[in-house]
Amino acid sequence: MNSYLYDGTADGLLSSIAWILEEEPDPENVTLRERMDTLFEEGFTIGTDATLAESLFFRLKHHAPDAAHTLYSFMLAEKEGMETSLLHYVSLAFKHGDKVKGYLTHPAVRDIINVAKKAGRELHRMKGLLRFEKLQDGAYLAKMEPDYNIINPLAYHFSRRLKAQHWFLYDVKRRIAARWDNGTLQFGTIEQFTTPALSEDEKKVQALWQAFFKTIAIPDRKNPRLQKSNMPMKYWKYLIEKQGE
Amino acid sequence: MEGVVGSNPATPTHILSPFLVAVLYISTMDTLAKLQILSGAARYDASCASSGSKREGLNGGTGNTSSSGICHSWADDGRCISLLKILLSNDCIYDCAYCVNRSTNPVERASFTAREVIDLTLDFYRRNYIEGLFLSSAVLQSPDNTMERMVRVAEALRTEEQFGGYIHMKIIPGSSSELVRKAGLYADRISVNIELPSQASLQRLAPQKHKHAILEPMALIGREIATSLVERKASRRAPLFAPAGQSTQMIIGASPETDFQILRLSEGLYKKMNLKRVYYSAYVPVIADNRLPVLAAPPLLREHRLYQADWLLRFYGFSAEEILSDDAPHLDESFDPKTAWALGHPEFFPVEINRADYATLLRVPGIGVLSAKRIVAARRFSLITPEGLKKIGVVIKRAKYFITCSGRSSEKHDSPPGLIRQRLLLGDSREAAVSALPKQLVLPGLFA
Repeated sequence: MNSYLYDGTADGLLSSIAWILEEEPDPENVTLRERMDTLFEEGFTIGTDATLAESLFFRLKHHAPDAAHTLYSFMLAEKEGMETSLLHYVSLAFKHGDKVKGYLTHPAVRDIINVAKKAGRELHRMKGLLRFEKLQDGAYLAKMEPDYNIINPLAYHFSRRLKAQHWFLYDVKRRIAARWDNGTLQFGTIEQFTTPALSEDEKKVQALWQAFFKTIAIPDRKNPRLQKSNMPMKYWKYLIEKQGE
Repeated sequence: MEGVVGSNPATPTHILSPFLVAVLYISTMDTLAKLQILSGAARYDASCASSGSKREGLNGGTGNTSSSGICHSWADDGRCISLLKILLSNDCIYDCAYCVNRSTNPVERASFTAREVIDLTLDFYRRNYIEGLFLSSAVLQSPDNTMERMVRVAEALRTEEQFGGYIHMKIIPGSSSELVRKAGLYADRISVNIELPSQASLQRLAPQKHKHAILEPMALIGREIATSLVERKASRRAPLFAPAGQSTQMIIGASPETDFQILRLSEGLYKKMNLKRVYYSAYVPVIADNRLPVLAAPPLLREHRLYQADWLLRFYGFSAEEILSDDAPHLDESFDPKTAWALGHPEFFPVEINRADYATLLRVPGIGVLSAKRIVAARRFSLITPEGLKKIGVVIKRAKYFITCSGRSSEKHDSPPGLIRQRLLLGDSREAAVSALPKQLVLPGLFA
């Protein structure tokens, strides 16, 4: 069984997979992992090629759109140690097309789909749970600490929804930000973050929302367990309606 | 209204002059107090869906809709908050026995101006608190007068503010068909509440509402939606009409109808009126009235079972007559309706996982729409083993009594339904089932 190594980047991972699929007669029988640069490390290192990585994704998208979507969601999870599973999954997806999602008895397919599903779930959740605050200069800012690196697709979602606003998304833990202004979306890293001043009416609107949140619940049906299972407490930190709890 | 801010003024922000603070304070009080009254009055409406519509945002406008729907928060009762759910007014001329806003109930009354609703919607939407607006209202002077005010809000949101988010509008029973049509042009979903499951109960508890005033607009909406779909096929520029369809709601437990009557009604609504959803709302006693039953707690379990049965109607190919009958007109409290049906139909089981078609798989307790689809997809690759079944997401502890995997099964299928019933209730271990059998010798104190 051949083993291969790559440099640990997303591009490196995808281009290694592309290379192996091209060169290996039986890709489902080789392994792929990140190079650790230790002594006596066994395996052949594959170089990173961003064009190759991109073309792999687009070929998969053409061949099996659902599988490409799964691959995309999987990459958001930034999971380490699952490279071999991903290689086998992509190989099977090229072989069977989108029917690969039925192959749940295959451990690689199951693992990749499960991780992708978790990332997809958080993305969907965050589309609802993200909270913008209006700043003094009229722009809107939303801070978040998601488990997965979802800022890209999330920003895309809001670029179609809040077109007329100038807004920022900020992933506090990863220190990356997205900016939407006048029809253009940009991403960047933030070295030092200082919380800007809020607009004058911001607290007023927040108070209205908090009041609404309180009165919309039916007192006879209070059910904190259900609330927490739908809206895990790890997301409460930035929820206006959950401040002071 | 306790806690309305009158006695407890909000802390003024330091950046404002004292005069400005006073002005701001009064105007905040107004909208805030109204919001508390008019969202509190709207909370008994069960509908929360924001799905089924795909509206692209307009250039320069705010908002689009997502066809899967998005929940933005979950309230203290665990229900999802997706829309700004409010009444335009709670100042009602009707006197429906079950309703908190009935004219003879001494609650504080309030009405929003159109501007207030529009600003609230936009302010909340821009901060991503909500997916859109759910606008209902008490009947102000007349159904038409009320409906007209509501339509004006939606119209302003769509045309003046270029709002592309979700709008759910209630139709006031008895309003003119012209206004109903107009509502459908601006809203994503429209709904007429059926309120109570029979004409007799309606007459007794909501004497000013008539069956035909509810069913006529429903039928009209159904026709308009169908026409619009045809027109949209011919031309993509044809106007949308309630693209997320229509729904309705009825109160459960305030009147004597059986579950069977309720399910048959829902079935008719889905089939004949093309409804997207029927919502069931456990009756919460908000006001004493000798026409209403006295309940210790809202019948939440009954509501839950009705929703499960409703899902069987919509997604599992069941009919109301299969789930219930005149002899057994109520849903079993201890089992979900599918398990109850399976226990009553031993001749249908066991189902062979590796051969049964999709419709048959759907009838197995513990197999849902998703796992049935996965089973069909997975069979293309290999035979499914009991281990694989678990990974697919089938609830084995319920399904195992009703299935075989390549002819094999962990359970004896000639077990009498009574025993299966008991083991389903008591959980997995055989011991638990046995110890629950009557006539078991129990030594007092031994298991203390």
